Amino acid sequence: MAKVLYEEATRVYPGTERPAVDALDLDISDGEFLVLVGPSGCGKSTSLRMLAGLERVDGGRITIGERDVTHLPPRDRDIAMVFQNYALYPHMSVADNMGFALRVMKAPKQERDRRVRDAARLLDLEEYLDRRPKELSGGQRQRVAMGRAIVREPQVFLMDEPLSNLDAKLRVQTRTQIAALQRRLGVTTVYVTHDQVEAMTMGDRVAVLKDGLLQQVDTPLRLYQHPANVFVAGFIGSPSMNLAEFRVEGEEAVLGGTRIRLSRETLEALRKEGGDRLVLGFRPEAVDVIAETDADAEHRTFPVTVTVVEELGSDAFLYGQYADAAHPALLDQTVIARVDPNAPPAKGDRVRLRIAQGKERLFSAVTGRRLPP
Amino acid sequence: MSTSMTPPSSAHQRTTADQAVRGNGRAVTAAPPGVPQSPLEASSKRSRWTVAILLAVAMLWTLIPLVWMLLSSFKNRSDVTAATPQVLFAPTLDNYRNLFSGPNNLGPYIWHSVLAAGISALLALFLGALAGYGLARTRMRGKKHLAFWIISTRMAPIAAIVVPLFLIFRGLGLIDSIPGLVLAYLTFNLPFAIWLMSAFFAEVPPSLEESALVAGCTRWQAFRTVILPLTKSGLVTTFVLCLVFAWNDYAFAVVFSGPNSQTLPIAASQLVTQTGIDWGQLTAIGTIVVVPMMLAGLAVRRWLVTGLTLGAVTGE
Repeated sequence: MAKVLYEEATRVYPGTERPAVDALDLDISDGEFLVLVGPSGCGKSTSLRMLAGLERVDGGRITIGERDVTHLPPRDRDIAMVFQNYALYPHMSVADNMGFALRVMKAPKQERDRRVRDAARLLDLEEYLDRRPKELSGGQRQRVAMGRAIVREPQVFLMDEPLSNLDAKLRVQTRTQIAALQRRLGVTTVYVTHDQVEAMTMGDRVAVLKDGLLQQVDTPLRLYQHPANVFVAGFIGSPSMNLAEFRVEGEEAVLGGTRIRLSRETLEALRKEGGDRLVLGFRPEAVDVIAETDADAEHRTFPVTVTVVEELGSDAFLYGQYADAAHPALLDQTVIARVDPNAPPAKGDRVRLRIAQGKERLFSAVTGRRLPP
Repeated sequence: MSTSMTPPSSAHQRTTADQAVRGNGRAVTAAPPGVPQSPLEASSKRSRWTVAILLAVAMLWTLIPLVWMLLSSFKNRSDVTAATPQVLFAPTLDNYRNLFSGPNNLGPYIWHSVLAAGISALLALFLGALAGYGLARTRMRGKKHLAFWIISTRMAPIAAIVVPLFLIFRGLGLIDSIPGLVLAYLTFNLPFAIWLMSAFFAEVPPSLEESALVAGCTRWQAFRTVILPLTKSGLVTTFVLCLVFAWNDYAFAVVFSGPNSQTLPIAASQLVTQTGIDWGQLTAIGTIVVVPMMLAGLAVRRWLVTGLTLGAVTGE
């Protein structure tokens, strides 16, 4: 087990201008479960493959433990990787697949058998050891791929979207199993996914990437509550955060009839930037549904027409459209709000939403970065 | 058997073809006897008959000459040239006995054929597998053009390259030698082997070898322990097709070989003389040429079928 350090690690694919991974700095501590997440093409898989040695590092360096592995071949890095398609060897039995790395490093047969059996017991694969991969279900193959990594007893586990080939229900089950297994084994793990729910539920910390650039790395809760910029705010959370550009008038942010008072710190930051606009975001659960006629001295409210209500049992989400006819330019703005699952409004209803006090998140309209609250 | 260049069908074509076959079978078996058939089922039954008849014609077209050759090789001179084709006759081994006796017996020819075809096919396979793997995995620009250029070297007719090759071979002292023949066959077989093998390697997901690399393999170990076993049918297919081409070749052999390297097809041609054609011995040689290749084909049929459809690797 070891810590992993990316220092300005950069990868530029031949024939392209923009780096696929641009000066990535990441400090992953010993035993940590770090998730790399982002939309497709954001460089998350490339970052992982750079750590594996499957992708060249064009700038910066990567260390595992105290060792600089930047230019070492994969086999000298003491890592184990789980691939998206599992990459099980079709011509070998489950046992041979799991013991492959040990066979390559010429571990004694007894030792090999013992470790394969231990991993098989851990993953409930004992009765399948003699089967070929193609005789297994998707979930079993996934476990064999995990088993192959465990048997290796490496410094670091690398996982590249290992759940994306499973169906939804199995994915949720396996998600918790992998997280629990990782905590039990205590092996430093770097896990790539495009699914922000997976990222939030599994990682000790989550690193969000976009266009090859690290946007923010933090615990799931802090990412959710204090996104560093507009992208992270919109990417993390499901359903996603409501975001809209407000005008700054005096000491207030204004959009249509909605007015939100800004703090001195925010105004100061805006003044330095020289902008008269900002991006205001609020989570679906940060609004209250109030009666259409309720007066609101602070003007933190706006009317919406309900277009869809998603009832999930434990939760209900309202999808609505801005409905203040006095501001026709805003009429196609969509708003998502969590509402009482026991008494959700009906489709077509007109309701008034109030952004809860202090729950708004403010971002620069110029740089997209968070503004002081 | 022919060595014509059938382009490997894509995985997509394969699956749709499979589905078509399965769909057809279901439609036919679905109708229990006595139940009136829908027009669709009737037409699918009709099309099955059409296919069966076409296949029968194709089979007769292929088999009759072979059977005729086989029978003729056991006939004596009068039976073989009889105006009414003889199907029932007293078989004789004279033709074979004559071939293997006398000063110009067939033994050396067979040996030359085995050496030239065998070595050239093995070399083509070995080099073709390495180059094909590189071609399948490289990310370089213009890869498709390179692949096309490689296979295009096989598109010229043999006659077009025989003369320049002859001059080169004469300079290198390769005329009338087995290495010369091996090299000549390689010029034709290697591009084909590279092209075919690269199509097989392209079907193996790169993550398999990456997984092996991470597990501690060198590139060569990953190739040998993971990639090669998965392309067994490709290797067999490539080897057999290269072998057949070299074994059956006449055009190169007639130009480049001499007393020390003449192959079986040359021996056959020598039986066509100004004084007449010894049909009995000619068909006997024909049989000797064809039978080993047919046996080889039968022995590896399992891999050959999956190989020719590129259905080789099913990783998942």
